[in-house]
Amino acid sequence: MTSTTHATSLAADSQRRPPFWRNTTLIKWTVQVAVLFTVLAAFWFLITQARSNLSARGIPVGYDWFDDPANFQLGEGIQTVDSPERRLTMSRALWVGMANTFRVAIAGIIFATIIGVIVGVSRLSKNYVARRASSVYVEMLRNVPILVQIILWLAILGSIGALTPDTGPIKGWVIVSQKGISIPRVFLADGFYQFLSLFLLLSVGIWFVRRRLVARQERLGGNQHVGSITTALVVAALVVSWFANAPMAFLRGVFASLESAWGSIPQVVVQVGLAALAVGVGALRVRAFLQSRRTPAGLAKLTDDDWFRLLFIALVAIVAAFIVLRVWPGLSSWLINSGRDFFGVLSDKFGDGRGTRPLDAMRPTLSTGRFVNYGTTGLTMTVFYASLFFGLVFYTSAFIAEVVRGGILAVPTGQGEAAAALGLSRGQALRKVILPQAFRVIMPPLGNQYLNLTKNTSLGIAVGFSEIVQVGQTVYNKNSQTLAVFSIYMMFFLACSLTISSIVNYINRRLAIVER
Amino acid sequence: MSIADQSLTTELASRNDVIVCRGVKKWFGDFQALRGVDLTVKDREVLVVLGPSGSGKSTLIRCINRLEAHQEGSIVVDGVELTNDLRNIEKIRSEVGMVFQQFNLFPHLTVLDNITLAPVWVRKKPKADALAKAMELLERVGIPEQAAKFPGQLSGGQQQRVAIARALAMEPKIMLFDEPTSALDPEMIKEVLDVMKELANSGMTMIVVTHEMGFAREVADRLVFMESGEIVEVGTPDQFFSAPREERTKKFLSQIL
Repeated sequence: MTSTTHATSLAADSQRRPPFWRNTTLIKWTVQVAVLFTVLAAFWFLITQARSNLSARGIPVGYDWFDDPANFQLGEGIQTVDSPERRLTMSRALWVGMANTFRVAIAGIIFATIIGVIVGVSRLSKNYVARRASSVYVEMLRNVPILVQIILWLAILGSIGALTPDTGPIKGWVIVSQKGISIPRVFLADGFYQFLSLFLLLSVGIWFVRRRLVARQERLGGNQHVGSITTALVVAALVVSWFANAPMAFLRGVFASLESAWGSIPQVVVQVGLAALAVGVGALRVRAFLQSRRTPAGLAKLTDDDWFRLLFIALVAIVAAFIVLRVWPGLSSWLINSGRDFFGVLSDKFGDGRGTRPLDAMRPTLSTGRFVNYGTTGLTMTVFYASLFFGLVFYTSAFIAEVVRGGILAVPTGQGEAAAALGLSRGQALRKVILPQAFRVIMPPLGNQYLNLTKNTSLGIAVGFSEIVQVGQTVYNKNSQTLAVFSIYMMFFLACSLTISSIVNYINRRLAIVER
Repeated sequence: MSIADQSLTTELASRNDVIVCRGVKKWFGDFQALRGVDLTVKDREVLVVLGPSGSGKSTLIRCINRLEAHQEGSIVVDGVELTNDLRNIEKIRSEVGMVFQQFNLFPHLTVLDNITLAPVWVRKKPKADALAKAMELLERVGIPEQAAKFPGQLSGGQQQRVAIARALAMEPKIMLFDEPTSALDPEMIKEVLDVMKELANSGMTMIVVTHEMGFAREVADRLVFMESGEIVEVGTPDQFFSAPREERTKKFLSQIL
């Protein structure tokens, strides 16, 4: 009896709030908020200091140079020179640089992954030659600095013959020279978007048919030809959309009306909408949080920590709403304008006397010893692009190979044995048992390699490839806006990294294994 | 006639040979794991293999479904000789079920998917039939309520019962058990042994490597004692436990009983 009352009084004691200087929750939150404000204040101080120091020397810091003419040429990209129809402004030059970075990063990620997986798997092969060769590949490539490799590639590629119209294996079609490799380009012709929209429409239908076929396969067993029927349907859809896409021209009107509708949204509506979105998301988070504290007996007593969290969510929502309403009205008008422009561009892609042919091809052309600009001729891989691309791909593939090897080794040998003992073939065991488990080990470090590759594109500056960092350097050499350009670098690479890591995290969550 | 075959009772001797091993030798590098094993297993026979660790018990049954390749001698399973021929290996593996000490369930698949994987992909069964069979097997091993869970959510004993159901789903003619209870907590050993006893009584041909002497005495038709890669003695449980012939067998029994 006494022990029961004792226990009750203990429980009551532990519920009593300690004085605030001993309250761990209060201390934790105070420290966190203080750190947050200190960091923000430090940034604000540094930025205002730099601004005032620079403007004292006659260099105002800001972004109002975006529309200045660039006054320089770019090595390559979607636009390289200024012309009366298409002005090359400073901001446009930076866009071209970003596009070039994407070009090399995306292609690099794809090829580094393919080579890395092949090399990684062959390092575990039973074939002696394959195993040794891939070990040598990995050890050689990962132990030489990437900058050295990129410059080495430039030296190698630069030793090929000079650029003339007939250097290359097939005269007039393929040109190989020290300026780069050019092959005929397949480009999007007038009818492409009509073709694409019709094909997407038909694909939705095929997806439903395929679902029915898979269900039938599971019901009946044996071979119900799911794969071959789907392939046949896709081919048929491609043929139909290639030749009979004219009816999709009606989308011009649809997008045009969307354009005018979007453009006529009053700014205040978007502002209020965004504010409501911020408050709404906040409210949903609060609700979800309270839901997680609910027990069968009703809402659990909220701890101090819970109250702080709720307060924090509410504060963030209110600050966000305040920003879109008062501090930054430009955001809303930007959303309205870019939405309108987007639908405008889309509507121009359809109908109105356009041909229906989706694709066309063009041979490489030369003018006065250099390739004609990217976009109007054959598909050209310049030596600058090539040396950066080869350097990044081979260097990163060596690391990816190690990641893949580690992932496969991390799957216990018993898994393969169990699959074999059940009669699964080697390929089936790999596809159904080993790889799904290896993937979850491979994904996080693979994402790191993708981030590394993307950030290493900035080494293009060493070989004069016009990626964002190289273009940015030209920009700030012209106008001394170093801080502003670097802030753009930071935001650009941050955006790239966050995109890649959120994709990787998403895949990783999908692959997670349930335990307990 | 080798010692392995001498002790066959007349009733057993009249049945078909399902597994015939002749002079099986196996080396791991310099170490010889099997030194010429002769063994015949009859249809519906339950054979328990005993012996100290490192005696080659596991290696022997792993050779029978070619998880390890033997280097000399011959192994014939259900009339098919085990060679490098991929078709023979896959045929035998789908006829021979195996249960491992570490369960080796596929952790990324649910219990049902673990059981239906091989019937659907190897036997090309309709998914619905495979699911029905899987549920039936889960009833048989006593855990139908765990069907939708992942292996990581089950206890060791439950996992091992799923592993048995997974092997049975291929409707094998022979079941191999490689120390199925050695990784289990004591209170879970019984639930697995009960399933194995039921299986033995239903007429399955089984080779069981185990240290569970109670199980061996109760269920085995014959016991095989191995040491240093050789079969030392073969006998019925009664003869083996009460009157072992070999000195090494006596020593082993005195250590464990």
